[in-house]
Amino acid sequence: MTNISLEPIEIVRGQPYPGAPDNWKRFFTFSTDHKVIGIQYIVTSFIFFLVGGLFAMIMRGELITPEADLVDRTVYNALFTMHGSVMLFFWTFPVLVGLGNYLVPLMIGARDMAFPRLNAVSFWMIPIAGILMMSSFLIPGGPSQSGWWAYPPVSLQNPTNNLINGQVLWILSVAISGVSSIMGAVNFVTTIFKMRAPGMTWFRTPAFVWSVLAAQLIQLYGLPSLTGGAIMLLLDLTAGTSFFTPERGGNPIVYQHFFWFYSHPAVYVMVLPVFGIFSEVLPVHARKPLFGYRVIAVSSVIITVISSAVWVHHMFASATPPWMRMFFMVTTMLVAVPSGIKVFGWVATIWGGKMRFTTPMLFALGGISNWVFAGITGIFLGSVPIDLHVHNTYFVVGHFHYVLYGAIVMGIYAGIYHWFPKMTGRMYYEGLGKLHFVLTYVGTALIFLPMHPLGLMGMPRRVASYDPEFAFWNVVASIGGFLLGLSTLPFILNMVSAWVRGEKVGNNPWRAYGLEWLTSSPPSVENYEELPLVVSGPYGYGRSEPLVSNVPNPDLTEFSESLTPQEAS
Amino acid sequence: MMKLRAILVMTIYAILVTLASFWMAKQSYSWFPPEASAESKLTDDLFSLFTGLGTFIYLGVIGPFIYSLIFHRASKYDRSDAPPIEGNTWLEVIWTATPLVLVLTLSFVSYRTYEKMSIRGPMELVHLHVPQMIEPAYAEPFDSTPQQDIQNAVETEPIEQIDVTARQWAWVFHYPEKDITSTELHLPVDRRVRFTLRSQDVLHGFYIPAFRVSQYVVPNEDINLELTPVKTGTYRLRDSMYSGTYFAANQTDVVVQSPNDYQQWLADAAAQTPNSAFNQAAYEYSQSSEPGSGNTKDKVAVRGWATIPPAPPPVVNYAPKHEPKSPPA
Amino acid sequence: MTVERAISQDTEATVRQHQEHDEAGNSKFGFIVFLLSESVIFLSFFVGYTIFKTTTADWYPEGVTGLETKEPLINTIVLISSSFVIYVAERYLHDKKLWGFRIFLLATMAMGGYFLFGQTVEWSGLPFKFQDGLFGGMFYLLTGFHGLHVLTGILLQGLMLGRSLIPNNYDNGYFGVEATSLFWHFVDVIWIVLYTLIYVWQ
Repeated sequence: MTNISLEPIEIVRGQPYPGAPDNWKRFFTFSTDHKVIGIQYIVTSFIFFLVGGLFAMIMRGELITPEADLVDRTVYNALFTMHGSVMLFFWTFPVLVGLGNYLVPLMIGARDMAFPRLNAVSFWMIPIAGILMMSSFLIPGGPSQSGWWAYPPVSLQNPTNNLINGQVLWILSVAISGVSSIMGAVNFVTTIFKMRAPGMTWFRTPAFVWSVLAAQLIQLYGLPSLTGGAIMLLLDLTAGTSFFTPERGGNPIVYQHFFWFYSHPAVYVMVLPVFGIFSEVLPVHARKPLFGYRVIAVSSVIITVISSAVWVHHMFASATPPWMRMFFMVTTMLVAVPSGIKVFGWVATIWGGKMRFTTPMLFALGGISNWVFAGITGIFLGSVPIDLHVHNTYFVVGHFHYVLYGAIVMGIYAGIYHWFPKMTGRMYYEGLGKLHFVLTYVGTALIFLPMHPLGLMGMPRRVASYDPEFAFWNVVASIGGFLLGLSTLPFILNMVSAWVRGEKVGNNPWRAYGLEWLTSSPPSVENYEELPLVVSGPYGYGRSEPLVSNVPNPDLTEFSESLTPQEAS
Repeated sequence: MMKLRAILVMTIYAILVTLASFWMAKQSYSWFPPEASAESKLTDDLFSLFTGLGTFIYLGVIGPFIYSLIFHRASKYDRSDAPPIEGNTWLEVIWTATPLVLVLTLSFVSYRTYEKMSIRGPMELVHLHVPQMIEPAYAEPFDSTPQQDIQNAVETEPIEQIDVTARQWAWVFHYPEKDITSTELHLPVDRRVRFTLRSQDVLHGFYIPAFRVSQYVVPNEDINLELTPVKTGTYRLRDSMYSGTYFAANQTDVVVQSPNDYQQWLADAAAQTPNSAFNQAAYEYSQSSEPGSGNTKDKVAVRGWATIPPAPPPVVNYAPKHEPKSPPA
Repeated sequence: MTVERAISQDTEATVRQHQEHDEAGNSKFGFIVFLLSESVIFLSFFVGYTIFKTTTADWYPEGVTGLETKEPLINTIVLISSSFVIYVAERYLHDKKLWGFRIFLLATMAMGGYFLFGQTVEWSGLPFKFQDGLFGGMFYLLTGFHGLHVLTGILLQGLMLGRSLIPNNYDNGYFGVEATSLFWHFVDVIWIVLYTLIYVWQ
């Protein structure tokens, strides 16, 4: 291997934040370092995850008995509205933006995101928007009670007649988070297009970066549609227009088109980065290159394209003409093709590999198995006649929670555990991690699997009370729900204690192949002393090819000594 | 030798998976409420097909996955990498083409089923200025004759018209022939029924699980929906589109009767003078808002917020005698 | 080894490029991405307008038969011409002729201002309100949302004009001006579609 001599590429920059103290205080500053912002995103959104989870557990408490007896119906309706909104807008989106923020510049060999200040602004809008939404619990009329879809006319009904009501706060909060997402998307797309390290061609770019790019492109074309719908909804609510108000000639169905044109692709905004995490985690812990890397990378972009034309499958029952039903049935089912490519690729990756069941690997494998199940029930839902029966029932709730919790949340956990040593320089506790995995996996199955039979039996979603015939499965689901609540405890314990006093490990404890593992743990402010010169593609396990030419090549075996027996098991 | 063993294992697994898939497909019928309409049979058959194929795919993927988890683990001190296999063009082509063919087939079968149900649904809704647009979907590229039960029902008797009105939070059924109203839906067995769905306020969902079809009720629109009850009994009609505070209580019974019983019921109802019916939402609302009566919110642990008041209880010829003591029984 | 060497040398050239990569290049790319995304909001409003117009029985509020097209047409011509004016301003800046830049930028602002003035006059003379049915809502929503963009464009131009008074401000590139100019072209293109939808298609 030849190391060519290069003039130092060191660009002299001021420290991005004063003094750059390497302590916890920097996480409370307006830092422009993508790594600080990434962790800010992850921690903030995790707090919202706990809030949304608490809402869910109160709902599960209500649903243990058929009668509406724990909370008033209005409270229940507010809870499911806030649960959905918080979980999507303040947990899943931002946590993935956080992981992307932390990892994308490191993975492509850049010193930061393209627009560091914009990045910081995008982040700080999230707590603001989140607190705004939470504050609606304190106003007289209570929070929005129209579901996270905010379908008019229900969302336009304002029993208190106050101008400041839960629905208005909801729209404003979602709008702020939308602006934040758009700015984030512009930042990601520019970073990925313009700032890849020299030599990093598209097909040397890690699958995670591809998937983040694909996801952020969806934000760019989709979110404006939701914004448009939200503006019109807000005007109907406050300015007396009648876009969606039926009694004055408006058409509430049009809102649904605005809403779902974004909100279905939004599912791919969330699931694509998780696919990226699976694609990164599996090769490392199976010691084998990602099978069909190019096809997996490109399939992300194919999903971006197809997902722009599937939204009406949420509206098969909304007075949708038959030709539209049939057209969107076919497009919806087509999504199975690129998704299938990924799943088969992952199975082929671990096939014949040398796997170690570390916590991130367990979460990734668990997430994939759940995704296969969720994907199949998704095809069921794409079929018009089946959908007409299970539409708006618990079958749908079970399906998308399998996607969101079973696949996405588990994938996020996999990502956090996998890159924890990179973010902190310390190793998490494997035993606690495995306990966390078992609780999560069992909890997921217990709560979300019973929702499928409930839906087939005809239990509508969003009900605060139900017929006694549904009681059995609801009790099971509630137990699973509490178990999931419990499962976050070992995770929090693990993260906090490992960050404070976990065992220090080297720069590359997984002996992983990738630019982010070439730099120190945690990486310095500018990420790399010298920008890496990439000379080969990712996932070079089993080939002794160098990844970069100017940084001393990671002799992967050298790190084996730093592995403790505990991790090796 | 290894190869032979691998082929043997795979063949046995494939057979097992196939058997499991058939079993699941058969089982799937038991996951549903009774098949009370001709349409429900079609849906259940389709669902069974999906379940069978879904099981096959799931086990087909999960089997090798779990096999790999068990047998392809690194031994404790093995720090070497696995063979660097990066892809296989043929495999990738196969696993792109197979799902493609599969989902196109499933789409086609779903289309056929949908045609056979010929539920009409919201087709009358499309008043884009190009009404011809609807026709192609009903043109005849494939066999789209309705299912036999449906054809028989249509041929023996005229279609029974029932107007359905949804509101916050009650269902009212109007039988135009005898001009009577009811809060319970009575239907004649083995006859085609055409519902005209109307909403007085917000979106509702007309959903009878035993009939397997749901349809939103949209304000300002008359939506037609045709169904064919084929089994007598009492079923449940639920609001499937979230419609506000008392949404969960917006349910009623559906009674499918023999033609004689049905006619008898119509005649009885016509003899009744319209009366205010019991309404769960109005009842709960009055319970929770009686000022100073001391019994406010005696039933729930956590108090709520202001709500849109329910519409007054509907005044109808026929309402079920029983007043549910607790929310929907 | 030789292959590797070739790659290395090739990438060395790329590094040089990378080293010199200007942040303005990134900003420009990012801004175009943003504008594309922003255009989707307009697109969704246009689609909404089309759906409402084709499905609503009584499209115009009572007493309204259509819109006057003459004054808006003059407005349109002024706005579209201003796109050329700002282009000239940019050329002047490119040639480091600051006074030419300032004069033409000011002219652009004046034309934008005329457009807004014309809009206000039109609005005040209309017989229907924001709350008058779907047409009233869509009309004011579209023209108002676009008007906000015009106003933003004028403010940006004012900012750029002010900056040109700082000595040597535009010596090392003028991304701000390029972005302002791009934004102005964007606002014009949107107006052309909007004009066609609202005024031409009646």
